[in-house]
Amino acid sequence: MAAREQLPSRLGSALDELRATLDRAAELAKQLTAGSTPGGDLDSRLADVEADRDELSTKLAEYEHQVQRLMNLYVATYQLHATLDPGEVQATIAEIAINLLGAERFVLLFWKTDNAGDGRSGECEIALAQGMEDDKSGTWQNGVYSGGDPAVDATLADGVLRIGPIGGSDALACVPLAVQGATVGALVILKLFDHKEMLRAEDRDLLDLIAAHAASALFAARVYSNTDRKLKTLESLVALVRRQ
Amino acid sequence: MKTKKVLVVDDSKLLHRMFEMMLRGFPLVHAFDGREALDRLAEHKDVEIILLDINMPRMNGLEFLTAVKAHPEFARIPVVIITTEGTEDDTERGMQAGAAAYVKKPFRNEELLGVIDKLTASPAA
Repeated sequence: MAAREQLPSRLGSALDELRATLDRAAELAKQLTAGSTPGGDLDSRLADVEADRDELSTKLAEYEHQVQRLMNLYVATYQLHATLDPGEVQATIAEIAINLLGAERFVLLFWKTDNAGDGRSGECEIALAQGMEDDKSGTWQNGVYSGGDPAVDATLADGVLRIGPIGGSDALACVPLAVQGATVGALVILKLFDHKEMLRAEDRDLLDLIAAHAASALFAARVYSNTDRKLKTLESLVALVRRQ
Repeated sequence: MKTKKVLVVDDSKLLHRMFEMMLRGFPLVHAFDGREALDRLAEHKDVEIILLDINMPRMNGLEFLTAVKAHPEFARIPVVIITTEGTEDDTERGMQAGAAAYVKKPFRNEELLGVIDKLTASPAA
């Protein structure tokens, strides 16, 4: 090769660039070779990524589960308090039991008050019965529950939520219905749909919600309904008096 | 991605509210019985899937399904029966009448979304 100073200046600079490029290429090749040798490192990184993916997937399933649980609670609460019509509140309780809990047979009980209205009469009115057409137990007849099921009697007495199976009882769940701390009745779930084997952990939240909200929603609706009826009667009377 | 319009036919207000929460992002059309659902279909011809309860007043789910499948314009729309246990005969009749699938109550979000995705996926996908 000719001495550098003998070459035209442009060619000399091109050769310098070429040498620099070759040096850089050799350096990069060395780095690449060095980087690809520890195959074990790549494997372990892949394993890490897969573990992260599995963990994220598990967490996603948990979050979806939580979202469903919260959604059920939100929708149930929303619907319970969305109306002041006692019939609609009762229908909502039934819809929660059927559609969210998967209950096939259940009864909604309320303590009957005695004639003076200042105490319990000792028996409960069956305000709502679902799937009880062929019931032969004799416990839930003629729209009245007079006692006899130990779990239901206990819940009506102490206001504690019971989830079965409970010895001597037909009930799978006895949900107390409370208004301002006083137990005014109970929702008794007697059978679930066949495709739902048992009450799950998230169902407990719904049962708690029913215990806390169903009776107060129904109570508020009944009070409103009575007040509205009285108001209308009074308005009619006032109108009648004015006409005379 | 194009959103799919869903017609929900159920006499339960609770379930309508539930579908609103579950199917966020899907335009929903609501009807509370079969007769009202036919009116809604006539107004919303771009409905792509129908979620149908069986026991409803005025016109029940099976009567509605039969009417939809006999209609030249609506027969193509897939119908999913939302059913409770104890109505197996009705579900069977529904499937024979042309329902595309059924889901048992109580159902999970992912179960229903999976059925909707499957039924509304484009053939090319």
